[in-house]
Amino acid sequence: MQYKSQAVAKPYFIAAIGLFVGQILFGLIMGLQYVVGDFLFPAIPFNVARMVHTNLLIVWLLFGFMGAAYYMIPEESESELFSPKLALTMFWIFLVAGALTIVGYLTVPYAALAKMTFNDLWPTMGREFLEQPLITKLGIVVVALAFLFNISMTILKGRKTSISLVLLLGLWGLAVFFLFSFYNPSNLVLDKYFWWWTVHLWVEGVWELILGSLLAFVLIKVTGVDREIIEKWLYMIIAMTLITGIIGTGHHYYWIGTPEYWQWFGSVFSALEPIPFFMMTVFAFNMVNRRRREHPNKAATLWALGTGVMAFLGAGVWGFLHTLAPVNFFTHGTQITAAHGHMAFYGAYVMVVLTIISYAMPMLRGRAANSAKAQVMEMWAFWIMTVSIVFITLFLTAAGILQVWLQRVSTTPMGFMATQDQVALFYWLREITGVMFLVGLVVYIASFFVAGETKEAA
Amino acid sequence: MNTQSLTIDAHEPGTPPGDLAIWFFIFAELLAFGVFFGSYAFARAHHVELFNQSQQLLNRASGAINALVLITSSYFVVRAVAAIKQGLSRQCANWLGAAIALGGVFIVIKLFEFHAKFSAGISLSTNTFYMFYLSLTIFHFMHVILGMVILAFVMAKARSGGYSIEHHTGVETGASYWHMVDLVWVILFPLVYVIR
Amino acid sequence: MSQAFTKSMARNIFFGGATFFFLLLVALSFDTMQVLPKRDHRENITDAVARGKAVWEKNDCIGCHTLLGEGAYYAPELGNVYKRRGGEFVKAWIKSRPAEGTPGDRRQMPQFNLTDQELDDMVAFLKWTGEINTNNWPPNIEG
Repeated sequence: MQYKSQAVAKPYFIAAIGLFVGQILFGLIMGLQYVVGDFLFPAIPFNVARMVHTNLLIVWLLFGFMGAAYYMIPEESESELFSPKLALTMFWIFLVAGALTIVGYLTVPYAALAKMTFNDLWPTMGREFLEQPLITKLGIVVVALAFLFNISMTILKGRKTSISLVLLLGLWGLAVFFLFSFYNPSNLVLDKYFWWWTVHLWVEGVWELILGSLLAFVLIKVTGVDREIIEKWLYMIIAMTLITGIIGTGHHYYWIGTPEYWQWFGSVFSALEPIPFFMMTVFAFNMVNRRRREHPNKAATLWALGTGVMAFLGAGVWGFLHTLAPVNFFTHGTQITAAHGHMAFYGAYVMVVLTIISYAMPMLRGRAANSAKAQVMEMWAFWIMTVSIVFITLFLTAAGILQVWLQRVSTTPMGFMATQDQVALFYWLREITGVMFLVGLVVYIASFFVAGETKEAA
Repeated sequence: MNTQSLTIDAHEPGTPPGDLAIWFFIFAELLAFGVFFGSYAFARAHHVELFNQSQQLLNRASGAINALVLITSSYFVVRAVAAIKQGLSRQCANWLGAAIALGGVFIVIKLFEFHAKFSAGISLSTNTFYMFYLSLTIFHFMHVILGMVILAFVMAKARSGGYSIEHHTGVETGASYWHMVDLVWVILFPLVYVIR
Repeated sequence: MSQAFTKSMARNIFFGGATFFFLLLVALSFDTMQVLPKRDHRENITDAVARGKAVWEKNDCIGCHTLLGEGAYYAPELGNVYKRRGGEFVKAWIKSRPAEGTPGDRRQMPQFNLTDQELDDMVAFLKWTGEINTNNWPPNIEG
């Protein structure tokens, strides 16, 4: 660790991992409810478990992004953080607000929560992924602005690199596009149209800038390849991301009341969306092959390579699978979507956050890399979690194909619930692999507590 | 930027003229247009009659004139490159200016055409043919504007003596992009306006 | 890779491309906004429909169901439920969910304790939703 203020990243990373555990536990509850419908009913109905599962994911990734920024920016700017105190204050505010929201979801009925938080005055709740009460949404904006102020000021007073510029753009974009979550007209079509401006332009737009810059940062550090080369790649990748991804928003506008031409725009541009992910894979492997030093942190390198491959598979290949309008006509809103969602989020965002944690955490604890024993354990965790997610995706894809066939393609279509019964086997298999994933996560956390000889920080 | 490589940028035989990045860019652009043209062909095969009927209503004269305008402007750009290779900055800038002016002519003719179509109440949702017609021509229209901006930058630099016999990658880069814009129209015009 | 390919070129492509395509999205969205009234039949959004959407949101229905294919995939699509089941069935179904759940391990729907007014509003909302021009999605009545 070169700058003292980088230390504020540590609580952010710890909180991220903690919430990650929560996310997986609720995922397992939902997975079981898919086959044992009355599990934990009426204490935790499915919709509540799902809210907790998805909101925890978003919040812990945000913790990860913020921690990453606090770690990277001082090093990139060659300057201490503008205000470490502000960063720590915001950490606690965000954590408490997040925890209170989750407690609210779990303890009172959602309608009561909506009433308690005056949702009627300005209704924003009850839309997928944006279930947070208005006060929480406002809290997110405040925290994001304070965070952006802190980061922007640090960059302004120090060295300005392409990596920090791209990261900053991504983070500002994240804040700006979140503002669409406050727009909720009573016209459902308009509501859905601009809902995607938050959701799609986040995950297939500005978040990818954050992803790219995190990956580029770690690759510079572990490979020692010339910054000019890495930053050139970074720009090419994110250029392709936005060139394809912005109009790619159209693949959500096929069947929600929007004009037919979106089927063409959406299909053409989102068919090109795998390109930037493919470039990312090539980039990661290329840089590691051309490495100029042997960094002692092998685990971080593994995570970085894994991010490239899994993001390409999950976001690129599984996205392409159902993005063309004629295919999507049949697959829209089925388990195929769920399969894609799981692998894409894991491959792109979970893994890149774990990459930066893997690289930064040993530094934050005063060593260049963890002991060989701890790294081996971390790599085991990598493989268990990654293989598990691959199988979760495969089982959900199988369930999805069967569901599409029985419910939508067949000449004697089955009802939704009857179809679900037919594919129950795959849900059981998914749940078992889900438990495997949890095992991987436990191994991952345990790897932080493995002692053994340590190498001194470089 | 200070990151410019130090090699002599008058290009060696066997490598494409201009900056390599512009070729990546051109390739990406051609891919996007290519996919769109492919989709057009696909949609056309499914709605032959609709496409034939709608195509009759397009203004083929203005499309053809515009093709001539762009081809001529491409020729001017070629002359501009030839001029700078002999170190004639002034002539280079003038040829580029002429090319930009023709780009302006293209824009004006196109605006008249769009105006006529929009006044007739035609929009992206009129039918599949018009969806393609408007998307492709407007998409290309934006590229003409972008190409003119690039040429304008190159012209300004040429005028102030920023290029020489040895160093004129910028001119070749701008020229390559302009030829791409021209090429797309040369494909687009027969495809959308003529072939049935 | 050739040395002529510089970082600043890549950066220009990024900024130029991002700006260009964002403007294109804005332009297309502008066009969409002009066309939408003909497709969403907004003249039929009565107060009951608007209130029904609020009921839908306040009870987080999207946490289990899909609406026009978006939401959770745990329970049936409701964009066309008015056509599939009719308004009376929908009301009776919501009303009759036992608070402690139905016996057996089938998937459970909570008892939301909706008032008659709220039930009517919900049905109005689902009826209006079912009339949106969705380019013929879903493929069949089962959703």
